[in-house]
Amino acid sequence: MKVYLGEFEELVLLTIATLGQEAYGVSIQQDIESRCNRKISIGALHSTITRLEEKEFLKSWLGGATQERGGRSKRFYEITRAGKKTVAESKSLRDELWSLSKVTLSTNE
Amino acid sequence: MKQQPPKLARRFFDWYCGQAKVEDLVGDLDEWFYQNLKTKSPAKAKIIYWRQTLLLIFSYAIKRRKQKAAPSSYSSTSFSLDMLRNYIKVAIRNLYQYRYFSILNVLGLAVGMSVSLLFISLISYVSTYDSFQVNKDNIYTIVTSRTEGFEAAEYATAPIVLADKLRESFPDAREVVRIHSGFNEEVIMDNGILPLQGYYAEPNFLNVFTYIITAGNGESALSKPNTIIITESAAIKFFNTTDVVGKMLELDQGGLLEIGAVMKDHPVNSHLKFEILISYSTLPESQLSLTDQWTNYRNQYVYVLLSETTKQSILQKYLDHIKTPIDNRSPIKVSFNSQSLDDITMGPDYRNAIGPKWEASGMIVFAIISILILLPACFNYTNISIARALKRSKEIGLRKTMGCVNSQIFFQFITETVVIAMVSLLGALLLFVLIRSEFQSMMVASASIDLSLTWRTVVLFMLFALGTGLVAGIFPALYFSRLNPILALKNKINARGTSGMRVRKVLTVFQFALSFGFILSLIVFNRQYQYSLNFDFGFQKKNIIDVPLQDVDALVFKGEFSKLAEVQSISFSSGLMGLGSPTTWIHSGESDSTEVSQQFIDTQYISNFGFQFLAGQNFSGESQQRERHIIVNEEFIKHYNLQNPIDAIGQTFNIDGQELEVIGVLKNFHFAPLRYPIKEFIFRTNPSAYQYANLHVTTSDVFGLFTNMETIWKSLSTIKKFEGKFFEDEINESYLTYQVLLKIVGFLGLLAITISLLGMLGMVVYTSETKTKEVSIRKVMGANVYNLALLLTKDYLKLLVWAILISAPITVFILSKMLPQLQYYSVNISAWDVAISTIVLLALGILTIASQIYKTAMTNPADTLKGE
Repeated sequence: MKVYLGEFEELVLLTIATLGQEAYGVSIQQDIESRCNRKISIGALHSTITRLEEKEFLKSWLGGATQERGGRSKRFYEITRAGKKTVAESKSLRDELWSLSKVTLSTNE
Repeated sequence: MKQQPPKLARRFFDWYCGQAKVEDLVGDLDEWFYQNLKTKSPAKAKIIYWRQTLLLIFSYAIKRRKQKAAPSSYSSTSFSLDMLRNYIKVAIRNLYQYRYFSILNVLGLAVGMSVSLLFISLISYVSTYDSFQVNKDNIYTIVTSRTEGFEAAEYATAPIVLADKLRESFPDAREVVRIHSGFNEEVIMDNGILPLQGYYAEPNFLNVFTYIITAGNGESALSKPNTIIITESAAIKFFNTTDVVGKMLELDQGGLLEIGAVMKDHPVNSHLKFEILISYSTLPESQLSLTDQWTNYRNQYVYVLLSETTKQSILQKYLDHIKTPIDNRSPIKVSFNSQSLDDITMGPDYRNAIGPKWEASGMIVFAIISILILLPACFNYTNISIARALKRSKEIGLRKTMGCVNSQIFFQFITETVVIAMVSLLGALLLFVLIRSEFQSMMVASASIDLSLTWRTVVLFMLFALGTGLVAGIFPALYFSRLNPILALKNKINARGTSGMRVRKVLTVFQFALSFGFILSLIVFNRQYQYSLNFDFGFQKKNIIDVPLQDVDALVFKGEFSKLAEVQSISFSSGLMGLGSPTTWIHSGESDSTEVSQQFIDTQYISNFGFQFLAGQNFSGESQQRERHIIVNEEFIKHYNLQNPIDAIGQTFNIDGQELEVIGVLKNFHFAPLRYPIKEFIFRTNPSAYQYANLHVTTSDVFGLFTNMETIWKSLSTIKKFEGKFFEDEINESYLTYQVLLKIVGFLGLLAITISLLGMLGMVVYTSETKTKEVSIRKVMGANVYNLALLLTKDYLKLLVWAILISAPITVFILSKMLPQLQYYSVNISAWDVAISTIVLLALGILTIASQIYKTAMTNPADTLKGE
């Protein structure tokens, strides 16, 4: 079955990929908020992450104890092979559409 | 101090997530919190923390994590519609499978809930009182605390001069309006005389209260003297149309009232009830001096409309510091309080209240009675459910094995009880509709309530049924949810846990004690009622017809009515014997004065009513003309320390400024109702005081006699109606309160007994089921039916006897305190009353269980034992 990615799902996946070793709840949210200049809610973010995990595009593990958050460990996320494949497919689909479409990259139309 | 994330939010989050692993999420939340602290205020950071917590709780992430942590896919503490559907389905199947118990439970709960439904609908209706007033939140009435010597009382009335003072010096009051409730007149119409009731009101009445004027100008109608605003229903009563502006009403007492405006009828749930509003200027100028006006007020009410922003405390502060011109040495002290419109109907009890009142104390008694009836029904349910645990234990064991958690079992059994409570609600509703009108007719202010079903009450009833289900179901639910699945599946549940057994016995005993109390009260009250009806009052009460003379002259009356063949003799009196009399003060010597009851009579009266003379003689014809003599009773001479009745003859007493001589002494008789002891009493003569004619009649044709009397009456008076009544009926009417009391006690008793019997029946059916094997074995070993019946009944009889032993002394004590309160001349509770009640309760109990016991005792052991 072909699985489709939502816009926000793709955003989260790519952000996690960008952050590499440092991808956990707070950092993902901050990165998306600063890069996209939009407010996202913690509930929405974790719901999406949970869905991506269920689709097996993400895997996660608990880190060790930390100082700054009351000793509570962080859950780190990493994009899986399947995840990478889906993002890649998504990108190639878009590239194809971009090249075929008449839209120019300049937006001063 | 270092700021911490809000503890409550953290706790809530932990509680909600339960066993789910959320350490990382809590960490994220905290990290956000500390970051926010750097840029934002602590309060802001806390708010964000709360918002984020709530957002997470509702998120898909938590839902999934909880599911993962749960032992099975269906077991989770979160609400699941699928499981609810399953619970309801299982509940309905169970109800159907064990129909007998379901019917017992539903009947019991329905009976138990019916009284509470009455209470709820009454409270619900009373709480809507005056809610139609637009200004309801800003209207206050002034109430008065008045102390005269040692006698203190709270009045709903207030001095009219206080209104003037408020207008002058209390600017926060937008309006101050005075109402006088003393208008009760009769109006002469073409078709006879009709009563008319209303209030005098000041012109700004309509600015304060919300009433809809449909014709004419309301304000001007209340400004001019002798003009009125009439309600539509009153307009129809008098003129058969609502187009009445400008028409006149002629009062029987003299005077004409012009109708200035017509208004829509006010709703029933209003504490102000009137047919007309009359302009305040119609009220005659008060004759009282200014000081008296501060201490004497009846029928006068002051309402204040405060401006939107003014609080009640400001008005109260003003009232606390008000200066009255009452002399400091005067024994009368007054102080004023404000009462908001909401509190008028269901608030503290004040004297002379303008409208109907439901005192909080009465409501509390009603609530306690409702609970006393409801709780035993709930308890029966609890009892039967737990006793039957064995039947359900396999189901519970299996559910738990499949991964059901305690809270789910709990919820399942609560659902089941709520389903039963909802079915019972239908039954209770039926009972409620049946008893509603009877209940309403027993209330004093029956015209002021409307207990018909509304959406509001229906919703309240549903909530109530839900609450009842929770109360009845909580113990079974807790019990079942804690069952050990291994024991449950092995059928090793001990349903008769020793501690539970004791509580159950105590509660059963309590139920039957209550029932016994009701039965005993019913018997004793009934005896007191019969006793009062057959009491020897010391005078004749049969074959006497009392006719209020109204405006007919006594001599003319006598002349015409003595023509009737059935009338043996006619006498005249100022009041009715046996129902109490007005009092006057007697002065003998310098300072001693005594209060005595008096009645004015003619010479025929004493023989007519068959009073017995101890000494002296009747009034002579001469003393009829000029008052010279009095006839006194035994109590009177006792008061003046006269040993012998003869000694009293010839003594003189100063009564109302005259020296009157005792001419006769009568044996004591009950001139007042039996509620009061016999006091000093005198008969006097004064033809102008006659109010009633007393006709001594002998007839077998009562109807014909009354027709004849009415014909004669019509020739004497054209306007007033003939109002003759049999004296005995009038006396008996004054004991009608007992009928109401008997009805209430009887009904409540019926409910209490029904519930306790249903509960016992349920328990007997259950034990019979579980004891079939034991009975069969005993039978095989040679026990006869009698032995077995005794074995099965013994436990229940023991409970009944305990209940009677506990209840009898308590009930007898309460009744012996209560009976003399009801009336001075009361019956004594005899051993017979207790014995009869005991027999009734035992008989009811045995009858209820007899068929079940018989069935069990008669089982053929071959049928039951062969399956083992």
